[in-house]
Amino acid sequence: MLAVMLREFRLILRRPALAGLVVVLPVLMLLVLTGIFRAGIPTGMALVVVDLDRSDLSRTITRMLDAAPELRVSEQALSLTEARALIVAGEARGAVYLPQGLERDIMRGARPEIVTFYDNQHMSAGSMVARGARNAIDTVLAGLRLSVRQGQGEAPVQAMVSLQPIPLQAHALFNPAFDYVHFLLAALVPTLLQIIAAAATAYAISLDFGPGRHPQVLARMAGGVLPAMLGKILPYTLIFLLILGLSDIALYGWLGVPLRGSLLLMATGAVLFVLSVQLIGALAFVMTRDMGRAASIIAVITAPAFGFMGLGFPREAMSQLAQGWGAVIPGTWYVQLRIDQSLRATPLDISLWSVVWLGCIAAVLGILVLIRLLRLRHQIEAAA
Amino acid sequence: MTHILTALRTELRGIFADRQVRLIILAALVIYALIYPFPYRAELLRDVPVVLVDLDRSTSSAELARRVTASEAVTLSYDAPDMIQATRLVQERRAYGVLVIPEGFERALLRGNQSPVALYGDASYFLMYQRVMQGAAVPLRQMGAEVEMGRLMAQGTAPDVALAQVSPAAQVEVPLFNPAAGYATYVLPAAFVLILQQTMLMGLALVATRRTQPRGHPVWRVLGRMGAWALVYAVLLPVYLIVLPAFYGLPNLGSNVAVLMLGLPFVLATGLLAQCVAAILRRAEVVQVVLLAVGLPFFFLSGFAWPVEAIPAHLEVIAQIIPSTPAIDGLVRVSQMGATLPDIQHRLWHLWGLVGVFICVALWLEKKQRFQ
Repeated sequence: MLAVMLREFRLILRRPALAGLVVVLPVLMLLVLTGIFRAGIPTGMALVVVDLDRSDLSRTITRMLDAAPELRVSEQALSLTEARALIVAGEARGAVYLPQGLERDIMRGARPEIVTFYDNQHMSAGSMVARGARNAIDTVLAGLRLSVRQGQGEAPVQAMVSLQPIPLQAHALFNPAFDYVHFLLAALVPTLLQIIAAAATAYAISLDFGPGRHPQVLARMAGGVLPAMLGKILPYTLIFLLILGLSDIALYGWLGVPLRGSLLLMATGAVLFVLSVQLIGALAFVMTRDMGRAASIIAVITAPAFGFMGLGFPREAMSQLAQGWGAVIPGTWYVQLRIDQSLRATPLDISLWSVVWLGCIAAVLGILVLIRLLRLRHQIEAAA
Repeated sequence: MTHILTALRTELRGIFADRQVRLIILAALVIYALIYPFPYRAELLRDVPVVLVDLDRSTSSAELARRVTASEAVTLSYDAPDMIQATRLVQERRAYGVLVIPEGFERALLRGNQSPVALYGDASYFLMYQRVMQGAAVPLRQMGAEVEMGRLMAQGTAPDVALAQVSPAAQVEVPLFNPAAGYATYVLPAAFVLILQQTMLMGLALVATRRTQPRGHPVWRVLGRMGAWALVYAVLLPVYLIVLPAFYGLPNLGSNVAVLMLGLPFVLATGLLAQCVAAILRRAEVVQVVLLAVGLPFFFLSGFAWPVEAIPAHLEVIAQIIPSTPAIDGLVRVSQMGATLPDIQHRLWHLWGLVGVFICVALWLEKKQRFQ
């Protein structure tokens, strides 16, 4: 088996296509993803103000909106129709409508309406724009209320207290800095690696077990078909674990994503994850013995896997069937384990289940590959 | 002309006679279109479970809890005696937030002091965090406003004056497009475009890697192939971008003509890009693995799920070379936001520009091949 492994490493060095797929491709893609999310929360998203009041107050609101870090007042529109057209064309992500007579009506106590329109088709950006606008307008209104109370002779401190009888202290559990970006990145890394590891393993196996190749040579070298297959798979396990480890050093070290759990559990999970993903690739290939069809199977399982992990739309809100499908994919459990052990500092007795599931998936896949290999052995030995 | 037709026929044969290419282009349509939307069928997050830690146990705290439970977004589904047990429920993923009402809540309210409450949202899930914060903040704010109004009225202020003082202006938020904030409505229109591009790239690049000794002038050959892609995708593109969205009940505000007008340069640019990919990677197996790997980064590069404003400039430049970047933006604006062609004309020109550039590259590659 060792001989096969050594031969595999030499093969990787000799074949630029293989080295490209297992080393260059994952590293490049991880760099691109890191590049996309490194900048953090978006800033300066364009907002249009439809100011029909043109008063001191409306100008204060406009200034306040522009001062919000996530917003940038890109232009003034003369009507809502114009503002809507700008949003549809992608020139702006939202519009704030300040009606005529705004300042006068507020002073009279007539409670005029300030309307914020936002592009909810681009939900992530739209909701950030809406939140930014809400906070900016709230700040201006709170200033007004404060000055009214002070005008009535209340002391500034007392007036501040009166404004908010039940203040809400919002805390972000597990993620105090609310660093969603790096958190997302920490989940995208295994998703990407899942795709590449499965496909690259299938490709590497196809180089020896594919049609027109001679697996019997390999089997003789390793002393059996099973050790030959293991010798083919394990070198890539090492390579992918190395890439995963390096990207984790970058994430938890360089980008400073918190790591508050058991490293041992994380490492066990990582080994089981890489192995089971590789076994998906191996199984797809030994079932079809054709790289094209194997790639299609791998694509169906791994390409849509991100959605089933529940990072965007949570798993608990999915249908039972969708939850079940997600549970069969190794990445779902590994990503859960990573989140639990890095951010949430989840107690081991809860988190252990993710590792147990990963182990089960790896075992079932391993058995399936084994059964298939035992059948293939007769063919291969007959050929030898 | 006959050269063009020959190339067209050869390409069609390449697509339909090869079992693997057929599998990718046609079966992928069925499988992806069924599996990909699967997690999002539920569309909306309602009644996110939140743990209540009520340390006050008073009438006021019960009233506050009742109001929060009544909100659409969250529901107080567990009672915990302290924060430790509440955190454990969140760690088990049985709840996504904790509302803590401190001891002395009612007393402080009655005395006219500030009486804060604490809300912990599970920040490891963005959407859940948002729902918890939003869902609990609205009833809290409302109760706060009522308390403030009550105090003002107790001091002898008339009710309408008190209301105007508590809230001088009404803030209204109107979501344009996807008003229900449905997750499927948000992500599927863009995802379908990407799936279409990736399967097309993979299928057509495979055809290109398997081509043997083409005949005729490179210009006619490339034109003929472009004709073949246009023919095949004149059927497949409407399936992905008009029939499937309708099947999943997504809104369609735009004109189908505009979808097709954008679709044509998108298909041509993607087909031409497939020729370049095939020429660089050469081997069918390598093409498949690489195209599988780039799908996810392409999606995030397109600036749809992750706003363009946050993508660094140098990656933004690379993103513009990928047909899905202008196509996703243009097609989502047309079908989901009712944009007309003049609204998105820069996207249309962008796609035609890519067609122009890729034609030159593809021709150059064809010429090089002949001399080899």
